[in-house]
Amino acid sequence: MEVLLREGLSLEAGAAYLTQLLRQAARENLASSPLRERALEWIEGADLQLLFTEQALKEDWKYTPMDFLRQPWTLQPFEEKLSLSEQVAPLAIESFPIPKSPWEALLVGAPVHRHIMLASDTPLHIALRNLGGLALELITVQVPAGARREIQLSIEGTGLSLVRLHLHIEEGAQVRFYYPSEGAEPKSYRYLIFTAHVEGKASLHTYALTTGTGWKRDEVRVFLAGKEAAAYLHGAASIAEGGVVDTAVRVEHAAPHTESNQLFRSLVEAGGRSTFQGRIYVARSAQKTNAYQSHKALLTATTAAAYSRPQLEIFADDVRCTHGVSTGFLQGEMLLYLRTRGIPESLARQMIYGAFLAEVVEKIPSEALRRWAEAKLLRM
Amino acid sequence: MLTIRDLHASVEGREILKGLTLTVQPGEVHAIMGPNGAGKSTLAAILAGREGYEVTQGEILYEGTDLLEMAPEERSHAGIFLAFQYPVEIPGVSMVQFLRAALNAHRAAKNQEPLDTAELMTLLREKAALLKLDPSFLTRSVNEGFSGGERKRAEIFQMAVLEPKLVILDETDSGLDVDALRIVAEAVNALRSPERAFLIITHYHRILQHIRPDVVHILADGRIVRSGGPELAIELEEKGYEPLLNPA
Ligand SMILES: Nc1ncnc2c1ncn2[C@@H]1O[C@H](COP(=O)(O)OP(=O)(O)O)[C@@H](O)[C@H]1O
Ligand SMILES: [Mg+2]
Repeated sequence: MEVLLREGLSLEAGAAYLTQLLRQAARENLASSPLRERALEWIEGADLQLLFTEQALKEDWKYTPMDFLRQPWTLQPFEEKLSLSEQVAPLAIESFPIPKSPWEALLVGAPVHRHIMLASDTPLHIALRNLGGLALELITVQVPAGARREIQLSIEGTGLSLVRLHLHIEEGAQVRFYYPSEGAEPKSYRYLIFTAHVEGKASLHTYALTTGTGWKRDEVRVFLAGKEAAAYLHGAASIAEGGVVDTAVRVEHAAPHTESNQLFRSLVEAGGRSTFQGRIYVARSAQKTNAYQSHKALLTATTAAAYSRPQLEIFADDVRCTHGVSTGFLQGEMLLYLRTRGIPESLARQMIYGAFLAEVVEKIPSEALRRWAEAKLLRM
Repeated sequence: MLTIRDLHASVEGREILKGLTLTVQPGEVHAIMGPNGAGKSTLAAILAGREGYEVTQGEILYEGTDLLEMAPEERSHAGIFLAFQYPVEIPGVSMVQFLRAALNAHRAAKNQEPLDTAELMTLLREKAALLKLDPSFLTRSVNEGFSGGERKRAEIFQMAVLEPKLVILDETDSGLDVDALRIVAEAVNALRSPERAFLIITHYHRILQHIRPDVVHILADGRIVRSGGPELAIELEEKGYEPLLNPA
């Protein structure tokens, strides 16, 4: 292993190495582990793209450009504003999932790890600023039973940001998670791996609101662990030239009477790209489950691109499940209709695009964020 | 007001209009009748400014200016209104939002201040009542989930709000029951004035009993083959197109 490290790892060896690291780390407090240092040492010199294109993950990254990974990155911590936190080994949190990819494994060894017990009902704002390097952070949040909490994540600046966020939502708690991101910088690459463990009668609402030209991937995995757990995932993205918004969602229904809905809208301008993978997994025991998914992409130019892939794996028989995926260009007829009523073309387009994203934006419960989204996404 | 001279237009290389000539004066009501596929909607679409048609010959003058040089919104500002045969749905855009934008664009073209919300709502409610449309219709998305009849009434409602000078109705009467037809006809008649003109595209004599035309034209195979008074419509209804198109 040591030898391989010095020489640079082959693809398989890299993945194997990380997996091994991970297994070991599972038995240790990683925050103080020498394994962590070793993982980080490795990442700095590595061709990161190898990790993404690892055979098993190829399908998940098929439509996501990632040339930027070819450049060498230097580790540099986030500038962060985070009031309450404590250092705890992530794997000490019972529901912390086993990493699915070498990337994720790496993040378990992120140099900064915060564990937040959300005892107070003050909204938690995790504000991270990347100063242009490779910044990694691992945050775990525990929401106590019956609590109602709001969490907002923002990742600003340039550089490659890898953020691993895990929410443990106890029985009957209600969580709203907001992730607005402006991505005004073309050289910003934000990769979020978000997992949530939702216990019985608890609910999670998420809102990913994206505009701009940056590169962004959200991997969202929600585990509905207890009876009547629910997850409502929303996404609205307005993607400008050069922008990439990549969303991979997996909702797993592991208990009966659980409910989930995925509502995503992407407006893609010339030279922009949207990819969406939405999986619904319903375990055999998860009877009386409702699972819905709707993803629509509206392309405003022929050089815009969108890829959508719904995946349903349903093993229970008493399940209501619907999914709808559509990708299309603006209908010329709509534009003509508005224009024949005197509405100038630019305004007509804005109205149609705005209305498309409004389906999601109008569902944002936070007044301030809804206004923000109206201004930035709907350009109202 | 409107002069169409020897208009030839094609779609994807296929000629649809083949030398159409038509003159409409202010205050007149013209009916255009003709078999399916004759080119009636094509004519309406070209007047409204839909793209995709190639005008290979002829001209269209509207109040002395070259209509074909104008963008659809400019035509609207200049007073042209088309009630579509198949109005599209605009999901997420409410009727109020839509007509606010339309009215204010018209006002901006005339250097007028935008309407305030109270003025707008008063106007919209008044016109909705005229068309016997439920007020809730104003907050619904444009044409979304509307029945065929509702769509047609919504078109006429828009006409009543925008008060255009040249109104083109493309088969607005199709699919309307007797009551709805009367409501639509009343709204059109309310707008009739010496300054306005109407072009009513229809298959049926029925609507012309409510909105009496000055001239009736028969459009067949891309040109106007016959014109006459209201009696032509009755003749058509009784005998069909065959004897008119191929006189013995
Ligand atoms: N966009 C188009 N592309 C191809 N053909 C068209 C198009 N629009 C109309 N046509 C053809 O032109 C002819 C006239 O159509 P239309 O104007 O709709 O007739 P009408 O309204 O008199 O029934 C028809 O043969 C129709 O198929
Ligand atoms: Mg027609």
